[in-house]
Amino acid sequence: MKKLLALLLTGTMVLSLGACGGGGSDSGSGDSGSSDSGASGGGSTLRLVNGKIEVDAQLKKLAEMYKEETGVTVEIESMGGGVDIQGTLKGYYQGGNMPDIFVNGAIPDFENWEGMLVDMSDQAWVSDTDQAYVDEEYGTIGFPYTVEAIGLSYNKNILDQAGIDPASITGPDSLRQAFETLDSKKDELGLTAVVGYCAEVASLYWSTGNHIFANYLDAGLDRDDTTYIDLLSDGGQIDTDRMTDFAEMIQLFNEYSDPSLLVSGTYDQQILNFASGKYAFVTQGSWIGATMTSTDAEAYEAAGNFEVGMIPYTFEEGIDTILTNAPSWWSIYSESENVDAALDFLQWCSESTAQQILVEEAGFISPFKSCEYVASDPFAQTLTDWQAAGKTSAWHWLYMKEGLAQNYTGQVFGDFAAGNLDVDGFVSTMQQVLQSAYAG
Amino acid sequence: MSGQSTAGRKVLSLILLIAGGCLLVGALVLDFMGSPLTFRGTMLIIGAIGIIIGAYLFPTVKHHRKIINILFLFPLLFTFAVTVIIPLVLGVFYSLTDWNGIRFNNFLGLENYTSMFKEPAFIWSILITILFVVFNMVLVNVVGFLLALLCTSNLKGLGFFRASYFLPNLIGGIVLGYIWQFVFNNVLTEITEKISGNQASILSTTSTAFAGIIVVYIWQYAGYIMLIYITGLTQVPKDVLEASQIDGANRIETLFKIKIPMIASTITICTFLTLTSAFKQFDVNMALTNGSGSVADFMGSYLTNGTQMLALNIYNTAISKDNYAMGQAKAVFFFIILAVVSLVQVRISNKKEVEM
Repeated sequence: MKKLLALLLTGTMVLSLGACGGGGSDSGSGDSGSSDSGASGGGSTLRLVNGKIEVDAQLKKLAEMYKEETGVTVEIESMGGGVDIQGTLKGYYQGGNMPDIFVNGAIPDFENWEGMLVDMSDQAWVSDTDQAYVDEEYGTIGFPYTVEAIGLSYNKNILDQAGIDPASITGPDSLRQAFETLDSKKDELGLTAVVGYCAEVASLYWSTGNHIFANYLDAGLDRDDTTYIDLLSDGGQIDTDRMTDFAEMIQLFNEYSDPSLLVSGTYDQQILNFASGKYAFVTQGSWIGATMTSTDAEAYEAAGNFEVGMIPYTFEEGIDTILTNAPSWWSIYSESENVDAALDFLQWCSESTAQQILVEEAGFISPFKSCEYVASDPFAQTLTDWQAAGKTSAWHWLYMKEGLAQNYTGQVFGDFAAGNLDVDGFVSTMQQVLQSAYAG
Repeated sequence: MSGQSTAGRKVLSLILLIAGGCLLVGALVLDFMGSPLTFRGTMLIIGAIGIIIGAYLFPTVKHHRKIINILFLFPLLFTFAVTVIIPLVLGVFYSLTDWNGIRFNNFLGLENYTSMFKEPAFIWSILITILFVVFNMVLVNVVGFLLALLCTSNLKGLGFFRASYFLPNLIGGIVLGYIWQFVFNNVLTEITEKISGNQASILSTTSTAFAGIIVVYIWQYAGYIMLIYITGLTQVPKDVLEASQIDGANRIETLFKIKIPMIASTITICTFLTLTSAFKQFDVNMALTNGSGSVADFMGSYLTNGTQMLALNIYNTAISKDNYAMGQAKAVFFFIILAVVSLVQVRISNKKEVEM
């Protein structure tokens, strides 16, 4: 009897173990089965990891259109909003679950995937754009899908009312003068503050440490000028003169910013106030257009859907460029079974049908010269103007050491805003912090 | 049992064992070679089942019980190995390399371990974590115990109070962090501005931000500790309390001479709980300050991670600075600290319990 019971129990255990394991292998073979049948059906299944969760719906629509046209299914897997995309991808890699196409943001990301990304140099779209990510050794490994711009955004209505021509702001003096004029007319213009600048550290470090700091690295330079990023990469050195000029501009922002948001504001508050017409300037780039016309649409409409524009961060006389670049790229995983299908899909994305969706619905600024669509985004026009004038610099901040803004520089901007540092203190602290960041 | 059937069983058992072993090894070899054959999973399972049945059928009287024991323990041991032991061993191994989450190129030996102690930011994280643990171990227990005393008295609406003190514990740390961030950055600044014209958020300087984390943590955790103390306090025998009352002990004496000694084991549990959980503090830290705050001069450098505790430091090293191997090395160090602290604590408190 006892033996029978033991046998029964062992049997159950073995069965349950078998069932669990069997389930696993079943799903495994099921997976490969579906892709097999997909292949025999004339198309395969592609998986794309997208880093811009805000355009998830538009990309899914794009995938649907592609399926109708070619029969190839594209699964869009969107991540964002604080998800660590590269960390998740590494998990996928360890689990043998790599997507066919995935997003890469900073340059160190590309270095991590060294040798695992497909060289797309021979694709037709490459000649149609100058925003692709080209690696010296591995060729064109990043497909650009949008262009973003870093500049000092302004509310054109307010500047007009105050009688300030944005084109007249060409250096630190004229910038200060414009700020002073606006500050004196604050009440009649209905402004809370001249500029919406937030140096909050915990969640806005990326704005100060990456985007505003980017101006120190690139503002006014040619697209291929790497002087300051090279200096930085070489042990965290800075050009003290340029950094001092830059610090003086930040000091100006500190003075004329909204005191309730300067040290502890959030991105949402900053953009909402700008969209409501409470600031003449805001230290955010072209990506806020999407927020202004969706989340903050009501406030923006109440403020008259005013025209916006961008001027360079003129911390030195003669700086006349805004910074434009593809903020991230799509890359193809070379060990994927669907490399060719993925190449076809990206090529299709660069062409007219797809561009229409990406530009008109997702609000992307097309990186492709052949694209004739104009986004409804408030910043689209000013960006196109700057690009047409050839007055743009690149985003070399993407080459910075990973985590620099979050762990190091963001805090220095925060301390400067809180009044714990003066201009010289900012420069010397920045110097010290960057050196220790690049040493460790 | 006849000799023949024993021999038959032996043969069957051996065949199953050998076939199972072959299938198992074959499947593993196929897997390591990166074979695209999809039946290797099934092969592995059949192999494992073969070995299990073979072992069960093996005709032995001497070792039968042992085999059965192992067979029944196997699922648990297997799960434990897969989820704890193997990751731990792999983690220690990766900490000796330059692993970046994808692959590693060099074997570095102890380089990660030596260089992490040369990093002032890491030393700072260790120090403030210890400080945080000390503060919390005391404060959470004191607050929790006082709340428990309150909730075992004769107040009206005790159930409501118990529930409301415990409620913060049900909210996740991240959500809680963001709620309090809003309170500190928006509500509190409004108030301080009205009173003193000072608009700075307490999260903008290191020391006050650190105090902020402690407050939030106590708010979150004291209710939980309170529940455990309530259980302890209600289990103090009524006859002992009655006897002390008859002997003329006042409330304070009853508390210090009767109640506290009687719940020594509860105190042990609570101290242990607060100690380890404060050490592992991560979510509130991340949501509330994300490690921000500056320290002007620590070991000769300007630190930008004023409120970054050990767990967050490890996370940021691996994820945000993309240095997985170093993060892993720090995690191994963290594991050792925690293991030692916990062992010492348990040993000490156990001794005390016996004495009392």
